[in-house]
Amino acid sequence: MSNTISGKNLLRPTGLRCKNLHEYLKSRPPDILNKLYHNPPICLAVFRELSEIARHYVMRLLFVEQPVPQAVIASWCSKLHSEEHQRVVQVLNELNVWNEASIPGGLPGWILNSTFKKNLKIVLLGGGKPWTMSNQLETDSKPRDVAFLDSYALERWECVLHYMVGSQQQEGISADAVRILLHAGLMKLDEEDGSPVITQAGFQFLLLDTASQVWYFILQYLDTIEARGLDLVECLTFLFQLNFSTLGKDYSTEGMSEGLLTFLQHLREFGLVYQRKRKAGRFYPTRLALNIATGQNKPLSSDLEKEGYIVVETNYRVYAYTNSNLQVALLGLFCEMLYRFPNLVVSILTRDSVRQALKSGITAAQIVGYLRQHAHSKMIEAGPPTLPPTIADQIKLWENERNRFLFSEGVLYSQFLSQTDFEVLRDYALNTGVLIWQSERKRTVVVTKAGHDDVKRFWKRYTKGSN
Amino acid sequence: MASEVDKSLLIIILDVNLSQRIVRQETKVLTQCLDSTIVFANAHLMQKSNNQLAVMACHAHGSLFLYPDEKHSEVRQIDGQYERFTLVERSVRQRLQEAISEIRTDRPLNSESLIAGALSMALCYVSRLEREKVAGEKLNSRILVITASNDSASQYMNYMNVFFTAQKMGLILDVCSLDQELTLLQQGCDITGGNYLKVAQLSGLLQYLLWVFLPDPSIRSKLVLPPPVKVDYRAACFCHQELVDIGYVCSVCLSIFCKFSPICTTCHTVFKMPGPMPLKMKKKKKNIDAVH
Repeated sequence: MSNTISGKNLLRPTGLRCKNLHEYLKSRPPDILNKLYHNPPICLAVFRELSEIARHYVMRLLFVEQPVPQAVIASWCSKLHSEEHQRVVQVLNELNVWNEASIPGGLPGWILNSTFKKNLKIVLLGGGKPWTMSNQLETDSKPRDVAFLDSYALERWECVLHYMVGSQQQEGISADAVRILLHAGLMKLDEEDGSPVITQAGFQFLLLDTASQVWYFILQYLDTIEARGLDLVECLTFLFQLNFSTLGKDYSTEGMSEGLLTFLQHLREFGLVYQRKRKAGRFYPTRLALNIATGQNKPLSSDLEKEGYIVVETNYRVYAYTNSNLQVALLGLFCEMLYRFPNLVVSILTRDSVRQALKSGITAAQIVGYLRQHAHSKMIEAGPPTLPPTIADQIKLWENERNRFLFSEGVLYSQFLSQTDFEVLRDYALNTGVLIWQSERKRTVVVTKAGHDDVKRFWKRYTKGSN
Repeated sequence: MASEVDKSLLIIILDVNLSQRIVRQETKVLTQCLDSTIVFANAHLMQKSNNQLAVMACHAHGSLFLYPDEKHSEVRQIDGQYERFTLVERSVRQRLQEAISEIRTDRPLNSESLIAGALSMALCYVSRLEREKVAGEKLNSRILVITASNDSASQYMNYMNVFFTAQKMGLILDVCSLDQELTLLQQGCDITGGNYLKVAQLSGLLQYLLWVFLPDPSIRSKLVLPPPVKVDYRAACFCHQELVDIGYVCSVCLSIFCKFSPICTTCHTVFKMPGPMPLKMKKKKKNIDAVH
């Protein structure tokens, strides 16, 4: 008498998750974390990723040699922000930045992780060994300036993006890069001819800002790094050294291991570093490599982005001053194209066009973020807010429109023979808290999937008892 | 995704006047202060990648920028220290060395430090950066003065001008005093909403700096910091540069004098002699009454 209907939640979009450094490190095993803390650059990167209050806690403890009572540390933060304090404590514990230690009096206390402390002090005060890439170099006979490096980095990176959308202006990218794109799920092999095509996740990836794109890509790359026979700790350390290098300065490859040199070649391909020749003995980090770990809250990426080109008006028209196919294609994801001129594209945001994008898994926040990030400088000057609030709100409303249904998986019980049978079962489900929906008139009950077994057993017992 | 990029600029003004009391007693103190200041400066840079820094020195004959310094911009790592920090440390030390050796000995050295001058230079620097910044960038600036000089009212006017300009520019002034209570600079902190601290133990200078002055103004409310002290708001008179409780104020330009003078020295207004004024008034009133 019972039918089971299991509904799968197909409509929920699966957002592209871009972990920040903290989340990434948290997902690493603790012994790797400790190994990483032996390297000053990583300590600095971890320190910078901490929240503001956490950074001040670490600074205050940096020159304290013995454990500090937890109550004392709690008193550093004002009472109004004790929630924030709790969060900070949790994060510092998770990242193993400090450890519990008991104080002679028996009070619980905290002491900074000694490796972390030692290496953070090295970063701040000096001492220790120089970082691998800072060997002395003779002056480059043909030094590269910042402008050159910027255009080089952007060109290399756009090459990857162009490849993803399959624009005609693509240059070849290496098989390695394609493999990473496939691994990251940004592209998949076409079922018919086996050539890589872009996925939904790939489109979402394209809507991110460049800094986040690079970080996401690097994270995916790091996942595959051990399969390539490279040492994760070594590569991460090198990555963060690049992170803290100076733009427009050359660094030496001397003393780098074979693995690191391979890693460097990979980074070179994506435009994170510039090298004139493979064996040049020196390289220049580009802006892509700088501040790589900052992820979403990127500070410097605005210098990297090309001039903003999008103007959004309150009448839902979107003007894009561009002739790049990539940018037009991206805009086309959520806009309806109206006219196209040599240097200008006119499009309009409609309910249909935005819903189309939402259906393919792009979120309203991503659309709004993209428009804001590439806003024309005139729009930024007129702001804040950069975007007309009505547009940003409407896009969010269109997204909420799709969330009117709440899906919950359940099992349907129907065709009860008598009203009492129905009521007994319904009351049981209600009391155990597994009832989702019931209708007295139709004698129908829906219970959660988890509660189904229990309810079924109850029903069997009940029918046996009544017989 | 914030379209606005917040930058935090810290300008440190270090008083390197050799005639400060604690320096005269023990010359090593200055080196120790310098070490602490450099570490503190680097700690500020360490907080966020877009934090900015400027270090200035001021003495009895003038003030100058130690960092940023265009001349020493190329530096290679020598040990595990972050390149940018090495650059700060090296240029501050070199420039200061140059500056101290350039101090002319033919002029008297025991005059007071020109902190007000250094402050105005800092304000100019901030206003230049404000002009040069790109759209969508927000610059939060603050100035930290580290000094062991005595309190003196001879720069009273310059100080007040600087304080109110800073307040108008939305700049915060922090003061760390190493020797004595400084009532004037204290007023500046109060006007601009900064912190004032008199260091009790000089050996712990770095910890004091890290605790009280490292947090950005935006999160100071979240951290428990020493409560603000009662500010002495006495003004200095314009004639003798002394702090006065009760004095004379020019009714035209609001200049303050400790003694009555018939002509205001600031705006040259001529006052009547304060004769038996109240008596006259009474008489006049009586006359008016009589007419009625």
